[in-house]
Amino acid sequence: MNPIDDDILQAYVDGALGAADAARVDAALAQDEALVRRVRQMRALDAQLRAAFDPVLDEPVPARLSALLQPRAAPAVVPLAVPEGGRGANPVRRRAPRRWLMPGAALAASVALFVAGLWWWHAGNGMVRMRNGEPYAAGVLDRALGHALASEPDARAAVAIGLSFRANDGRICRTFTVRTPPARAGLACHTAAGWELPVLGPAAPAEGGELRQAASDLPPAVQAAVDTRLRGNVFDARQERAARAAGWH
Amino acid sequence: MNPSDAVREGLIALLPRLRRLARVLAGQAADADDLVQVVLERALARSAQWRPDAALDKWVFAIARNAWRDELRARGRAQHLFAPEEAGEAVADGGEARHAQRMELAQALAMLPPDHREVVALVLVEGLSYDEAAALLEVPAGTVTSRLARARAALQAQLGNDA
Repeated sequence: MNPIDDDILQAYVDGALGAADAARVDAALAQDEALVRRVRQMRALDAQLRAAFDPVLDEPVPARLSALLQPRAAPAVVPLAVPEGGRGANPVRRRAPRRWLMPGAALAASVALFVAGLWWWHAGNGMVRMRNGEPYAAGVLDRALGHALASEPDARAAVAIGLSFRANDGRICRTFTVRTPPARAGLACHTAAGWELPVLGPAAPAEGGELRQAASDLPPAVQAAVDTRLRGNVFDARQERAARAAGWH
Repeated sequence: MNPSDAVREGLIALLPRLRRLARVLAGQAADADDLVQVVLERALARSAQWRPDAALDKWVFAIARNAWRDELRARGRAQHLFAPEEAGEAVADGGEARHAQRMELAQALAMLPPDHREVVALVLVEGLSYDEAAALLEVPAGTVTSRLARARAALQAQLGNDA
């Protein structure tokens, strides 16, 4: 007869037994190979669950969720213009129909919006405004995206522009790095409402702690977002200048 | 700080864990974040009901569990929230080698009844004690342990680990 039933064994694995009961299980384990195997199976299952779901903790939080938690008094959440389509003043679409994952989990993991820290960054330095629950460039970031050229880098500017290109949806997108702390890198795409920020995350520091921006320095999430959008080649200096002259259309 | 500010700030800190819980319950990432959105809206709307001496995470997780149950009822598909073949999207991808294993796990989870999936999410993934999970689910602790044992057995059988 085996006095250690599944409930006891499970409580042992889950650390829910008192010291005396745990000692009793320890003693039983020392002489029962079958019990040892069951404990091992349970622990393996637990480890498998954690391995599958713990990475969610490190995923960027979708903007529509962090936007819900902004202080209502923050002026930046108020849409700066009347939203198209008459969605009203609510900056967040309820039960947004948009699917946040693209087909394929690998693509999804890398392309999924990358806006961890958006809320405090936005609250801190005014480079981001929310519009209909989506982040848009504001202030110095908006100005840099509209005017700065990667072919004319300014080492002292707060924002460095990286690649510019026409995305597969026809919009012009530009990668950027914000040098001022907290350093951020992201992708901005031009829309009638301004520079939308589909990707925004921590910048990858280059060696020596300096922030550079070359294509190879892009954080993986930004690089992945570029890869999925890029149609043709990135702009050269002449194309970049022409795109600015054309108002990024 | 007024209660709603305290709740809002607590929710910001809690958001990653809430998303993880929702992913275990709802499966697909998009459904899970839809659930999180409902939970945030409810928690903010009810922030006056939260007492600062109560743990915010348990309060929010209870809202999440109830919102998920509401969603299941609304869909009228209490057994399967989504088709098992779609379940692979539930888990983060971690390279080819582990991908198949995670697909299998997500599919096995998708086949668990809601009662069982809840205890897996709360105890095995979130790390709540039996008593905490029991209080949250408003069932006796013995019910939590028996559901958990059956959930584990079902998952292990599905995953072929029971040999």
